[in-house]
Amino acid sequence: MTSGEKHVEIEKELSFGPVHPALIEPYRIRLFVNDEIVEDCELNINMAYRGIEKLFDGLPVERALLIAERVCGICSHVHAWNAVRVIEGGLNIDVPPRADYVRVMTHEMQRIASHLILFGHAFEVVGHETFATRSFLLRESFMDLISYVGGNRVMPSVPIIGGIRPRADLTESLKRVILERVDEFEEKYKGYVTRIIEDPLVMSRLTGIGFLTKEDAIKFHATGPTGRASGWDYDLRTKMDEYKPFEFNVITDESCDTKARIVVRALEVFESLKIIRQAVKNLPEGPVVNRSWKAEEMDFTTAYMETYRGELMHSYALDSQGKIRNYKIRTPTPTNLAAMEHACVGDHVTEAILTIASCDPCLTCCTRAEVVDSGKSFVLSDFEIVRKYGWRK
Amino acid sequence: MENLLLFVLGLISSSIVAAVIATLYSLVLPGIERKVQARIQQRIGPPILTPGFWSVLKFGYKKKIEPNVQMPGLYRSLVYFGIGIVILLFLFTTPYWWAVLGWGSILGIAGLLKLEEVLYVLMGSQSQSFLSTGMPVPDLAKGSKHIGIRREFVEQHSAERALKMMAIGSLPLYVALLVPFAMAKSTMISSVVAMQNPAYIMSSDWLSTALPSSPVLFTFPGILAAIVYFVGYVMLLNEKPFSILKAKIDLIEGGVLEYASKLRAYYYIMRNVLMFALSSIFVTLFIGIPFDPFVPFMMLLNLALSLLLPVMLAALVAFSPILTFRQIYPAAIGLSAVGILALVISLGV
Repeated sequence: MTSGEKHVEIEKELSFGPVHPALIEPYRIRLFVNDEIVEDCELNINMAYRGIEKLFDGLPVERALLIAERVCGICSHVHAWNAVRVIEGGLNIDVPPRADYVRVMTHEMQRIASHLILFGHAFEVVGHETFATRSFLLRESFMDLISYVGGNRVMPSVPIIGGIRPRADLTESLKRVILERVDEFEEKYKGYVTRIIEDPLVMSRLTGIGFLTKEDAIKFHATGPTGRASGWDYDLRTKMDEYKPFEFNVITDESCDTKARIVVRALEVFESLKIIRQAVKNLPEGPVVNRSWKAEEMDFTTAYMETYRGELMHSYALDSQGKIRNYKIRTPTPTNLAAMEHACVGDHVTEAILTIASCDPCLTCCTRAEVVDSGKSFVLSDFEIVRKYGWRK
Repeated sequence: MENLLLFVLGLISSSIVAAVIATLYSLVLPGIERKVQARIQQRIGPPILTPGFWSVLKFGYKKKIEPNVQMPGLYRSLVYFGIGIVILLFLFTTPYWWAVLGWGSILGIAGLLKLEEVLYVLMGSQSQSFLSTGMPVPDLAKGSKHIGIRREFVEQHSAERALKMMAIGSLPLYVALLVPFAMAKSTMISSVVAMQNPAYIMSSDWLSTALPSSPVLFTFPGILAAIVYFVGYVMLLNEKPFSILKAKIDLIEGGVLEYASKLRAYYYIMRNVLMFALSSIFVTLFIGIPFDPFVPFMMLLNLALSLLLPVMLAALVAFSPILTFRQIYPAAIGLSAVGILALVISLGV
């Protein structure tokens, strides 16, 4: 058997999923192994096709944005925010600075909650239940704070076109609560991270596996913490106007292994805490929403932003009645998983699953397929894709 | 002749009493184990009887499901063999069996333990669950990578891992087991207990409260061997950090995946009795308190001290990740070296 340019002998195939107790979302992992060593890997992620982009078509833009928030339950805020950034950019709608601060703050709160989910999942995969359950316990602080701000733990619905919902505006007492909780969390979190780093067994499981070089990260466009753990200094927050008032560091690591992907996220949580404190302390006075806009025809407009797993793209156009046309979403997981397909080669079987999990895959928001054929766009079901183009298309 | 009849009657009655008590007691151990883990993880955890007793009872009443295996009859029988092996393993360490054909010796214990390990290889090679290769996914469709190579069920991979664990993983336990026998300069359990607890051997009183005067555990090689025995205990029970042959993240449950309903209940009984049997053997060999069903004080003491290893196991499980062979090989070699050091020192003693 051959794999790419390198000739490798493959003894057998082991396959897992899409129904598997350790996979929290449905995907198929095929590992081609020699004894315990992975020689090649194939990931099929298109198992939960939802066709959510098709749902947007023809909806009034305000209603469509509610669906955007429901693309993903972990990064709901970032989808809602990026969806409104598209129209705000396309129709030049000004957003009050106070609203931007609250959006950024909610974004960073959800980033912390998202990273803690990854720790929970990764340590579940490592087999360390105590670290996994501690992670979910710690996450509760931020789930509570998100619900205080938005009124809901999972779907806070903070951004609206032109600003934020007035109910998400910060009162003086809420500002005090946020700062207190952030301090409490930071102390507990420091202890948690220290215990992980000082645990030799856990470190031996994470270190030296799942290598992804910087060149490969760039080649596969592995963005977010996955790319930064390979030493690629790429964070869209540094280019976003909303983040200009905030001071924070972009965490990178040159180790390029699974440990680096965990450590980068662990350190990013401290930077997020820094941003939340700045947002609360320096919150400008003024209105939180600009209602002087009108939905009108808009050309295809694209907005990119840095979500918790990497680069997120939303793109759509509006027709003359202000209804959505051809909504497109590109989440970071497909490219990150492609990188992991490459990175897990050389690992032991059990480690390969950990390597795949270390890019924090989120499949519900990425399993969609659109095939452009003769200039006309189609959304096809799994069955149709396999029948027409073969599995790998 | 009369003495022989009395001995046989005693053997049968003590075996029945010991097997019943051991089985019932072993059903409580998983609950204690889970409770300790839960407390470490700041959870309440399940009620003590739920994971061991009630789950076995529940599975006993579940609808019968035919296992998806190559030879269903063999696969089903393996779990019955397993129960028989672990109960015999336990009985061989009870005093009535010490005199039977030399089974109450290191050879009896090691032989049965090896047999128990072989079961996992057989189970793994038989089982063909739906959850891996059997999943109806078009893996071999056009464009797929590597068509035409051998596709293995996760249980078969588990069987291969079980072989590796047999070869090296359980070595520390066997080395540690040798230490008390080396100190007693005998292969018989009776000699090991006599060395540590002469008062018990001398006494014929059923209300005897003989305590050991010189337990192996309180000697330097004894402590080393006890540590190695404990790690070997974890390896033999396939618990974290040495649960690679049933790692949930890839192999799910390994070879026992297809045991459902009553068969699963029996598997739980097998696993629980093994957990208790190995703990009881530790108390007998390293502390000198055998499980004697006709001397209640000794039996209760053995039962109480048999909690030691499951509680330590629970704490270890709560704080351990699953190790891969990258870590297991050096760990097993290192522990075996410590065990051999203890053995050499004990021969000197």
